[in-house]
Amino acid sequence: MSADQLVTTEREVTAPAVVRKRRSLARPVLNVFMIVIGLVFLLPLLWLILASFNPTADGTLAMPHPFSLLNYHLVIRAGAGAAIRNSLYLAGVSTVIATAVSTMAGFMLARRKIRFKGLVLVLILFLTGLPITLLLIPTYQIFVHLNWLNSKFYTSLVLASMSVPFSIWLLKNFIGQVPGEFEEAAAIEGASEISILFRIVIPLIIPGILVAAILTFINSWGSFLIPLVLDANPSDTPGAVGIYQFMSANGQVQFGQLAAYSVLFSVPVIILYLISSRWLSGGFSFAGGVKG
Amino acid sequence: MAKIVLRRVTKSFGQKVAVDDLNLEVEDGEFVIVVGPSGCGKTTTLRMIAGFETPNMGTLHIGGTLMNHVPPKDRNLAMVFQNYALFPHMSVERNLSFGLRVRHASKKEINTQVHEIAEMLGIRPLLDRKPAQLSGGERQRVALGRALLRKPQAFLLDEPLSNLDAALRTQMRFELKRIHAQFPVTTVYVTHDQVEAMTMADRIVLMNDGELQQVAPPETLYAEPVNVFAAGFIGSPKINLVSARIDHSSGGSALRCLATAIPLTTEIADQLRSAQSETVTIGIRPEDILPQSPMDDTPGRAVVSGTVEVIEPLGAETHIAVRVGDDILTCRTPPRSGLEMGSTINLSFDIAQATIFDGTSGLRLC
Ligand SMILES: Nc1ncnc2c1ncn2[C@@H]1O[C@H](COP(=O)(O)OP(=O)(O)OP(=O)(O)O)[C@@H](O)[C@H]1O
Ligand SMILES: [Mg+2]
Repeated sequence: MSADQLVTTEREVTAPAVVRKRRSLARPVLNVFMIVIGLVFLLPLLWLILASFNPTADGTLAMPHPFSLLNYHLVIRAGAGAAIRNSLYLAGVSTVIATAVSTMAGFMLARRKIRFKGLVLVLILFLTGLPITLLLIPTYQIFVHLNWLNSKFYTSLVLASMSVPFSIWLLKNFIGQVPGEFEEAAAIEGASEISILFRIVIPLIIPGILVAAILTFINSWGSFLIPLVLDANPSDTPGAVGIYQFMSANGQVQFGQLAAYSVLFSVPVIILYLISSRWLSGGFSFAGGVKG
Repeated sequence: MAKIVLRRVTKSFGQKVAVDDLNLEVEDGEFVIVVGPSGCGKTTTLRMIAGFETPNMGTLHIGGTLMNHVPPKDRNLAMVFQNYALFPHMSVERNLSFGLRVRHASKKEINTQVHEIAEMLGIRPLLDRKPAQLSGGERQRVALGRALLRKPQAFLLDEPLSNLDAALRTQMRFELKRIHAQFPVTTVYVTHDQVEAMTMADRIVLMNDGELQQVAPPETLYAEPVNVFAAGFIGSPKINLVSARIDHSSGGSALRCLATAIPLTTEIADQLRSAQSETVTIGIRPEDILPQSPMDDTPGRAVVSGTVEVIEPLGAETHIAVRVGDDILTCRTPPRSGLEMGSTINLSFDIAQATIFDGTSGLRLC
């Protein structure tokens, strides 16, 4: 923490005038370049938004005239609303479970002396790289065995488990950054381990928990294969599966409706980003807690 | 309130022995101050008493109970950390009340206690601030307040006043003494400040390089240091250490040093016979060396002559450093003595007031 501060102040102090001048010349050129790249990336998005308001949309970029909400009407009638509610359920439940589990596991791995901790950590890291497809068939067989198929809740458990390894790593590292003295001070004041976790550690790593939660949510939100295989109940279909089925259901692709569906499906994630970015920019600091 | 007993406690970190075979008893209600150079194991000792470190060897008893494996939260101690360790996400008020809140004290009790302690430490206007919005001295007082709020079995204070200015430090020293007189809770207090150690301690614990050097009341430590290290560590200006050779030759013993021979009484000479070698170290406190006018000749005082090298006027007194042969002697003189740099001066001291240490082992001989 202090090293970072040192580096930044040093940079500010020593940045020579020459560098600043050159930067001021380079900046406009760089900006134009970046704007062009940005526009290229924005084009598909622009198409998506325009097409969603255009009942006669095709693959080309065209202004809808007139603007119409017909596409939205049609996809909602075809079940987009329910599918997004299902997505919210799957993503929400799996996020809560995965974040809670990873916070506690991260705390233990960061703070407790555990035998073979290095090995455990390597195994967890290994799990973060394991592809879903590899696990899906055994998971399906387990589900058959336990009679867990076609349940949104059990499906969210699997979604949670997909995110847990990475979240544990992330949160273990965040917790490792918290100076141990805070926890010692709390302990000598009489706080139990659970109390320390909830009163000291969690409040100090809120930004880390948010990052883990957002990543899990987005993972689960976009997850396709797991709900497709584990929950065949049509009323449980989440958005990601819904779009796919919608695309293939009507024989001929309805570009406008597909675009409207996609926009609806993106809105919750965008809202999530907007809310959390305010929190995340608050940063991660123990300022004032310890000397030096 | 409780007695703290450490028996043969050793703590190492890898190869580094931080605390080596430490035996220490802190009586119930006693105020003990631990001093020693940086890195000598003071904090490690406190952390073992607190329970953050487990000794590799030895036992720790608090209030008669073996504590080696009791977790910190069950020891009922309070601690001020060397680097404060205030909870950065909590206001000063919530920092102060943390211990009471985890013990589920009533709102009313918490409120009165917090305001009482905040008043006493002069941090009442800061109650709503976060630690990041406080100065170093303010943080330190909050850390002190958090520890003082409860009535624990013992206080562990790691340099609790180090970041305060001189006036505030004197005031806090006074407050701590007052609190201790009112509630005599067993206290182990670490400091670098000699004035704190001399004025506040019932007994001083002196450590060096992980090893206990001496445990004694302040006056005893000052007057009868067990070894050269203890003599040199306590006292400001520092004690004068002069190496000398014992000469037991014809017609009585003498110490050869400072370009002279100091005759010894038979009593001292006998005590010096246990010395392991010919050389000893003489420790003379600066206040025991007096400037001597050429006229008077006090019998029994050794007189040496040297040149004044440094003059430090402090107001109430002046410290002068005088070069005598290869040695420098510091002594205290009255202010405005009219001395000049480079002038020649005679100094006298009584060898019976000096402390003499073995030249090899550094242990005190007499
Ligand atoms: N966790 C640790 N790991 C390794 N070495 C340590 C650890 N804690 C302390 N030490 C070492 O043990 C020795 C004693 O440290 P300690 O913190 O007790 O010193 P101290 O007397 O409190 O010093 P100071 O006056 O500078 O605070 C030091 O040499 C230190 O480097
Ligand atoms: Mg220390």
